[in-house]
Amino acid sequence: MITSDPLTFITISPIALGLALLIIPNIAPPSMADYIRKISRSLSMSLALAIFAITTMLFLGQIGNTDWLNITQGTYVFENEPVILLESIGVRWTVGADALSFPMIWLTAMLIPISMLVEWDAKKGHIFHPLILIMEGALLGVFVVLDLFVFYVFWELTLIPMFFLILIWGGNDRRYASMKFFIYTFTASVLMLIGILVMYFNTNDPNLAGTLTGHHFDLVSMTMQSSGDGLIASNGLRHFVWILLLVGFATKMPSVPVHTWLPDAHVQAPTAGSMLLAGVMLKMGAYGFIRIAVTIFPESTIIFSSLLIILGMASLVYGAIVCMGQTNLKRMVAYSSVSHMGLIFLGIATMQPLGIAGALFMMFAHGIISPLLFAVAGAFKHHYHTLEIGSMRGIAHHSPWLAGHMMLGWMASLGLPLLAGFVAEVAVMIAFWMTFGWLVLLPALTLIITAVYYLTSMQRTIFEGGDPHVGILPESLHGEEPRDITWHENTGMLILGALTIIFGIMPFIFWDMMSEWSTDFMIETLISAMNSQGVKP
Amino acid sequence: MGENKQEWDRLLYIIPFLLVVPYLYLTNENSTDYWWLIIASPFIFFFIIAIVGQIWNKHNFWVNNLKEGGVLGLGALSLSLSTSIWMICDYLSDHGHVETGEPLSWLSFDVLTYGDDSWSIATSGFSGIGFGIYLDSLSIMLLFVATFLCFLICWFAIGYMTTDSINDNSNHRFFAEFVLFSMGMFGMVLADNFLWLFIFWEIMGLCSYLLIGFYYWKPSAAYAAKKAFLTTRVGDVFLMIGLLMLYDIYGSLDFAVVFDHPDTGVGGVAVDSAELQTALLMLFIGAVGKSAQFPLHVWLPDAMEGPTPVSALIHAATMVNAGLYLVARMVPFVDIHHHGVAGMEELGLIVAWIGGITAFMAAAIAFVQNDIKKVLAYSTMSQLAYIFTGLGATLWLFNSGKHHAGALVFGGSLFHLFNHAMAKGMLFMASGSVIHEVHHAHDHLHHHGDDDHDFDPQDMRNMGGLASKLPVTATAMMFGSMSIIGIPLIGGFWSKEVIIAKTWYAYFHGAEELIGPALLLLATAGMTGFYMSRMWFMTFAGEPKNQLVDHVHETTPWIKTPLVILSIITAIGGFGLALYGMVDWLSGEENHLSIHKATFLKQVIYELDHAFLPDDLKLRYVGWTTIFLSFIIGPVMAARIYGGALKEGEKATPVIHWLTSLSGKFGSQNVDEIANSQLADALQNRLYFDDLYEGILARTIIPFSNFTAWFDRTVIDGVIKQIESNSVLGSVQIRKVTTGSARDYILMAAVGALSIFALIWGVN
Repeated sequence: MITSDPLTFITISPIALGLALLIIPNIAPPSMADYIRKISRSLSMSLALAIFAITTMLFLGQIGNTDWLNITQGTYVFENEPVILLESIGVRWTVGADALSFPMIWLTAMLIPISMLVEWDAKKGHIFHPLILIMEGALLGVFVVLDLFVFYVFWELTLIPMFFLILIWGGNDRRYASMKFFIYTFTASVLMLIGILVMYFNTNDPNLAGTLTGHHFDLVSMTMQSSGDGLIASNGLRHFVWILLLVGFATKMPSVPVHTWLPDAHVQAPTAGSMLLAGVMLKMGAYGFIRIAVTIFPESTIIFSSLLIILGMASLVYGAIVCMGQTNLKRMVAYSSVSHMGLIFLGIATMQPLGIAGALFMMFAHGIISPLLFAVAGAFKHHYHTLEIGSMRGIAHHSPWLAGHMMLGWMASLGLPLLAGFVAEVAVMIAFWMTFGWLVLLPALTLIITAVYYLTSMQRTIFEGGDPHVGILPESLHGEEPRDITWHENTGMLILGALTIIFGIMPFIFWDMMSEWSTDFMIETLISAMNSQGVKP
Repeated sequence: MGENKQEWDRLLYIIPFLLVVPYLYLTNENSTDYWWLIIASPFIFFFIIAIVGQIWNKHNFWVNNLKEGGVLGLGALSLSLSTSIWMICDYLSDHGHVETGEPLSWLSFDVLTYGDDSWSIATSGFSGIGFGIYLDSLSIMLLFVATFLCFLICWFAIGYMTTDSINDNSNHRFFAEFVLFSMGMFGMVLADNFLWLFIFWEIMGLCSYLLIGFYYWKPSAAYAAKKAFLTTRVGDVFLMIGLLMLYDIYGSLDFAVVFDHPDTGVGGVAVDSAELQTALLMLFIGAVGKSAQFPLHVWLPDAMEGPTPVSALIHAATMVNAGLYLVARMVPFVDIHHHGVAGMEELGLIVAWIGGITAFMAAAIAFVQNDIKKVLAYSTMSQLAYIFTGLGATLWLFNSGKHHAGALVFGGSLFHLFNHAMAKGMLFMASGSVIHEVHHAHDHLHHHGDDDHDFDPQDMRNMGGLASKLPVTATAMMFGSMSIIGIPLIGGFWSKEVIIAKTWYAYFHGAEELIGPALLLLATAGMTGFYMSRMWFMTFAGEPKNQLVDHVHETTPWIKTPLVILSIITAIGGFGLALYGMVDWLSGEENHLSIHKATFLKQVIYELDHAFLPDDLKLRYVGWTTIFLSFIIGPVMAARIYGGALKEGEKATPVIHWLTSLSGKFGSQNVDEIANSQLADALQNRLYFDDLYEGILARTIIPFSNFTAWFDRTVIDGVIKQIESNSVLGSVQIRKVTTGSARDYILMAAVGALSIFALIWGVN
């Protein structure tokens, strides 16, 4: 199964094992239950590592021998034999990967073991690690399935483990944060669901259709239909559906003004939860937007491209300015995610292959960098028991490793060259100038603002403190000497830091396939729409 | 030398590094195939030193034998130095015709273009970003400056840093960041396109930030580091916009592509001069930030918070030249003899004006500084500004068709860059030697623990009469100052003269707007003579102003060697290279360095004749005015105020002794009245630029961001919460339909689901 249908395996196996590890101890005899609880952490980690190994082998060609540079838009690799799940309404289990989804799949498979490692000593580990495993299955499911019904199921399934992660391992305000997180994103997804349903009732492929309704949820077929006569005949309804999808995806990304769930969720979430939330869950929004809204409704995307610019620019600039006013480290990092996600909308709105490739690379690079940022913030909470910027100074003396990771992560996030984020930024900026000219001053201004808040927060944590042997330590330590981070935190951050550097120096590892795919995406989808809409430079 | 023999044994560790290049040479390898060694060696050792140093922190071998990574860093830099010398020799012997190989592909992408009423993917014209090297006399010269000075200053730093108890086992951090910086500088010089230039430019900015904040626990250092990063970041962002514009115009950022035909853009269209000029001005803003020119100059004086080797390397000799390098790279765009774009005279004028203003302003502020490093910092700003003015004149002359004069001042400006880098690197190291020994004497006198924290080893008011205690340092500093002042025949004289003369030449030949910079440069020449002499006299001449001077000795190993080497280069290098036609070689007029006249003596006479008795009578007056101001007026004024013979019985080398007693003969003048004036006050406060910028930021951005944070919490999130609480109220109403019977619920759910389906069905 691993070689014939690897994507199904990596999606189903973590959910199965995760559920088993959660359920069996409750029904098994006590001695066996204890044993399972004891090994549950290692088992989860082993499976996560195995999945990481499989995805890496998929990439390197040891399984399937894929030529990643030549996947045209609309074709997928590692497709399975579709399995009919609900015959009456036309739901099928069909998976596949392409250059849009594969970097996200690899990213998820890479982040899960690292977030497990960082929280290796979490309380109630026998529940914590299986939950993360279920999370992995749900996240991978979102990226691999090609059936919108199943897509939606996985999309909502990601909420459940995250809800429990926040509710059980969260901070003081966890109850409020988890409820807000759940209700907020769930409401937005329901709007998205309505959009998906409208699309569903306009499909017409008799081979795939459900026996009762005569329609199907197959994404590939919908895409083909939309590039033919158009999926939805009426212009107005098409735009309406596009807006519904946008609301659903923009909330997940999140974009201003529907971003306020993010800071609360992040501040309360445990470290691993924050890492996955920022690293992968936000990318689901961007992925879904490109995969569904832009691909199936290119005309609407072009007509509403000014809306994309406004949303993207608002997130980028406003998010950065709000960051400057934050006093809580984790809140600041959370808002910086809002700011960086704005670049994705901007990249798409440029209608340049370079801009779209830049947006894709931003999704990937931010997926490496933001978990590092949250790991650092989590270590702060863990060892200094506070996240207030400025309550501890001169931590370079007490926690040199933590200070080093913080420096690297902060620098990567502010777009320093030779670190992963820079490539995405510069690609989007080049495309942006070509399309919008001097409007580039706003993103450029944001680069300065980003540097201001990151540097100020470092000045007040890593630096200062007077005599290093005295320093300024937060009251929350009650006079104790803080220790440097634990070995597992350190290892996790070292791996993330190394990846940040590797993908900064050698972005072409994933960039080339993204760039090829974007060009093809433009040719197949957007160029004809641009020509028919009469778009002028 | 009486330095500890055991210390010298450490040098054995760098022998393997030095053997690499001879081995490659003997196996008939091609030097240009190994350019990557220059960058890779420091880059790899950055990681090694940082990580091993963190783990092996207090290990005896690491601390004593490897000098906390310093020796490894020196080894890595020696490999870079030897490789670049190999490349430079090949370049010079081949007269500049070297094959540099195809650039590696780094980022490839496609561009969508509009033509014939439809969009399509461009099939030609636009190219991705590659990575390779670009060699010409400019990059070769800077490569030598960078590798040579990085190596010498690393040598110096081993002595300076590892004997300082305050560093507390964290020198591996210093050396790791030091070699990373070196990588950035080498990469920037070698890079063959604007984007990689920018990438390495930013890496240097990062290292500058880290090294200024090396003493991280000092709030002033933390603040200075942040200030340096943010100020240069403002320039960098504009530089990036310039890159975007250039890419849009040419469809490529490669030097080779862009410089080939700068008047033809992508797709063969003629380049619009206004658009190109805007792009180049954007690049220039970046250069202004990096090279600390008005109005982005505020970070450089504060950057002196870093350890002195850092000031020597980054903030005097190498990184601050990056801006000059970028402006020098603009010359092909304006050179209308070689497909440049006409109609961009304003660019040269703006560059020259910025240079003129900065030169004068920095020199004026340097008058009142008492911190030895701050004097040098302002001097750096002022001298860089000279070069900017020269480059501005170059741009103007090239763009208005005066190719020959333009080439001369171009070469002269770059030559000044070379002379200044050598002299200023050495001056900072010499000041480091002074500070280090004064500090040690102070520690020795007061022992540890009970010393007063107010003592500032950098304050020249605590010094005086050090000439007999620090003979090597005093000599080095003398030559360095002479080179900066432009004392005839020494170092910087040969280049400064060209810059001033040709700026006036441009003024006489049509650039009326250049009268400002031309006059400012002339005035600054005299002011330089004053403040550099003042620094030297305050430090070395006269009677000691503090009792601890008696305890100062030149004992720290590793420190003296670089000073001696650089003293020799500064003293005779300027004249020597001028004889060999350095100016014409740098400007690209000649492709090899050699003597042009029949005999050496004839060449000497020719050069002297050219320097002191140029054919143009007006330029002769300008030249003699410069010499009079910088050689006579400035130093004599300084000697009248600060000069003085050494104490009876103090021994010094004959030249130094003569110089100090000469300075005492001008009598002493009391300057209290001037020193307490409002002008002096304003200069002390750096003309209030820092206060102004901080005031603006504190009154605008910070309240605004706090307001926005409040707005986000209360308004945007508040609306959501309002909706939520209303829906709670609503749900109380709805609760009335909750009958508690499962049958009702199922019915309601079914009706609801059916109605949604029916609705969507019906819409279609």
